Amino acid sequence: MDSKESVFKRIMAIRGMGQVVTVTCGLIVLCLVFGVINPMFFTYRNIANLLRQIAPTLLTGVGQSFVLITGNIDLSIGSVVGMSCMISATLMTKGVNPWVAVIITMVVCIVMGVLNGVLVAQCKLPPFIATLGTMTVGRGIAQIVNGNYNTDSIGEGAKFFRTVFYSGKIAGIFTAFWIAVIVWLIFNWLLSRTRVGRHIYAVGSNIDAAKLSGVNILKTVIVVYLVSAVCAGITGLIICASTGTGTMDAGTSYEMYAVAASVIGGVSTLGGQGILLGTVVGAFIWGVLQNGLQFAGAPVAIRNIVIGVIVVVSVLLDVIVRSGKMKPRKRG
Amino acid sequence: MERQQIVKMRGIMKSFPGVKALDDVKLDLYSGEVLALLGENGAGKSTLMKVLSGVYMRDSGEVEIFGRKIEQDWNTTKAQEAGVAIIHQELNMCRHMSVAENIFLGREIIKNGQLDNKAMNEETAGILAQLGMDIDPRTVVGDLQVSKQQMVEIAKALSKDAKILIMDEPTSALTSKEIDELFAIIRKLRQEGKGIIYISHRLEELKHIVDRVTIMRDGRYITEMEFDESRMDEIIAHMVGREIKEKFPRVFCEKGEKILEVKHLNAGRLVRDISFDVYAGEIVGVAGLMGAGRTETTRAIFGVDPKESGEVFIDGKKVSIHSPVDSIKAGLVLVPEDRKKDGLCTRLSIRDNISLPNLDILCNRWGTVNKKAEGEMSKKAVENLKIKLPNTEVDAGSLSGGNQQKVVVGKWLARNSRVVIFDEPTRGIDVAAKVEIYNLMNNLKQQGIGVLFVSSEMPEVMGMSDRIIVMCDGKITGELFHDNATQDRILTFATRFENKLEQ
Repeated sequence: MDSKESVFKRIMAIRGMGQVVTVTCGLIVLCLVFGVINPMFFTYRNIANLLRQIAPTLLTGVGQSFVLITGNIDLSIGSVVGMSCMISATLMTKGVNPWVAVIITMVVCIVMGVLNGVLVAQCKLPPFIATLGTMTVGRGIAQIVNGNYNTDSIGEGAKFFRTVFYSGKIAGIFTAFWIAVIVWLIFNWLLSRTRVGRHIYAVGSNIDAAKLSGVNILKTVIVVYLVSAVCAGITGLIICASTGTGTMDAGTSYEMYAVAASVIGGVSTLGGQGILLGTVVGAFIWGVLQNGLQFAGAPVAIRNIVIGVIVVVSVLLDVIVRSGKMKPRKRG
Repeated sequence: MERQQIVKMRGIMKSFPGVKALDDVKLDLYSGEVLALLGENGAGKSTLMKVLSGVYMRDSGEVEIFGRKIEQDWNTTKAQEAGVAIIHQELNMCRHMSVAENIFLGREIIKNGQLDNKAMNEETAGILAQLGMDIDPRTVVGDLQVSKQQMVEIAKALSKDAKILIMDEPTSALTSKEIDELFAIIRKLRQEGKGIIYISHRLEELKHIVDRVTIMRDGRYITEMEFDESRMDEIIAHMVGREIKEKFPRVFCEKGEKILEVKHLNAGRLVRDISFDVYAGEIVGVAGLMGAGRTETTRAIFGVDPKESGEVFIDGKKVSIHSPVDSIKAGLVLVPEDRKKDGLCTRLSIRDNISLPNLDILCNRWGTVNKKAEGEMSKKAVENLKIKLPNTEVDAGSLSGGNQQKVVVGKWLARNSRVVIFDEPTRGIDVAAKVEIYNLMNNLKQQGIGVLFVSSEMPEVMGMSDRIIVMCDGKITGELFHDNATQDRILTFATRFENKLEQ
């Protein structure tokens, strides 16, 4: 009994866990409601599909969370997804070995991430503007690589690629989800256990204090945009593997889904706060809503409205809780 | 421990565009002593400390730390390595992070490629225990009281092996018990042979810890002496000791009816039970040190910050002001301290700025702006106030400081206001422009408009006001008429803090 309690206490002592627990409760309620509405919800088939659907939101959410924790934002995520999808697919249709294609694609994505970081931290551009620019450029690259056409099928040679990134199954679950889990584990370790992770929180919490303590701001900001771009790049590969073709508008609006997942999970857009476990729960809420509402027969329009409302309400609740905490009202 | 000189500064010069902040300043600090650096607002204390800690680069002069000459390329990192730590007035902590995380920020302990939180927490606990601080290293800094945060900042400095500690107004946010704790730590550090430079406006605190004082005034070194409580008057005289050089165009008016009355106003820690009144035909000055609550008081009256309690009367009628809109409607307006931030839309034209608060007058009932009336209004304001400008369409930000200030005033006068509150109206403008602002205040006074004049510059408060209210620590501590106001008297009131310490 005793040891169990102390484990629970230890978990709750992790900063940001409170919010995650609250949101998790919301997620459970949501699942139960959808389970009651539609008994098919809790079938293996649906859950396996659900996990596969969640992977892109989870991945991009992890990247966006890194950026948000430093108090910045990355609007280029969706375009990097599209870029990654189109570059890898184009290369594969041209007969390039899929693994070489993957490496080339990731290098391009990484360059994009570093560019974002340099624009924001070195050139001092507002992150909204800097990444709005790279977002447009990125989409342009996605369109230009195959001469403004979606690609043909990436073909038989890429079958193994598709198995690895999307359709294969390990322990009954699609590889797309496993990839997201592995990426999450690595970056969660980076954020919570390493020096650079600590510095990411410090930059978002108080950039002057961080600077005066000898934190390398430029390096830290480049790292977060790099992580974001890597996550987006992998997401692009998953999408390429899922459809088997390159689509130019792949990943459109993903940066906003990523913000939603992060914010629902308790990552503050003002920086300094949030944990990646929250982003997981946020991504699940996102996925369950999409999936559950679809099951319940709600049209896309209704799904959009519901999700939009939930994003705003979850942030609003957070703002209310926080402002109450900061300024305790004394008398009248 | 042998007393050795650890800081030697000679002939320090530092200029900012248009201002000579430090002019041939010297400073000595020995190990095992607490040196109080004293002077009025703007005497250059903070600038000098920023030179020492590497935030600013000095223009010329010599600095020696532990007998080692400091080169011109001195910066914060080098200063920290040399053992200089500055504990800022505004705290420099990551409030989302834990005590241990803050203390080890930038030099985390790494084991096997990842953070060794256990070691950092243990080491932090050790440092805190050494200082007699009862704080859990894992507490999030934002959850601590301000005083504890300050202690953490001291602990952080000491963990970096700081030998020279600079404390800028460390007690301003502390309660008496917390001040006792802080002083206990300071005494302990002194015993260990550290040198401490202590900046405070609370002169009554000095006797508890200070060994020696260095006094500055107007960016110059004035004197240094062993601290002796009985020489307090002498210290104050040195701090103030300036003749009033500038001329102030005083005009005399018949004192008229009471225009503004504020009764028992409360709004937060810096506005406590404020009561005063303003009559037609007088300028009421509000004096006090930085952080005395003057700006906060004006903001609360004007309705920017919420009032907790209190009443405001204009022309004998009670008015309820919950927002600036209420206040403007009631005829009470504010010329704010930071004109670029709060007073003007610097990228809009002068015409736009003047008409902005008067659109209710300028618009017809469909909400369309009457361009002709708008043009006349701005033209009138420009003529009345002698604002120098190419035309009323240029950006307000392109004007000089003095003319910007006139535009701010002009927009309020266009609507027949009853009371104008000026908060530091002459900050950062040249002498000629200052005189124009003074004339402007006199004009208002002659027109029977009530003028409340907040300023940190004692000579101008004394030179312009008919009556002076002195604030300290959120309270009114004294009231003087211009004929019996002296700098010493004002400063005595301005430093009349509630005695937080047992004698």
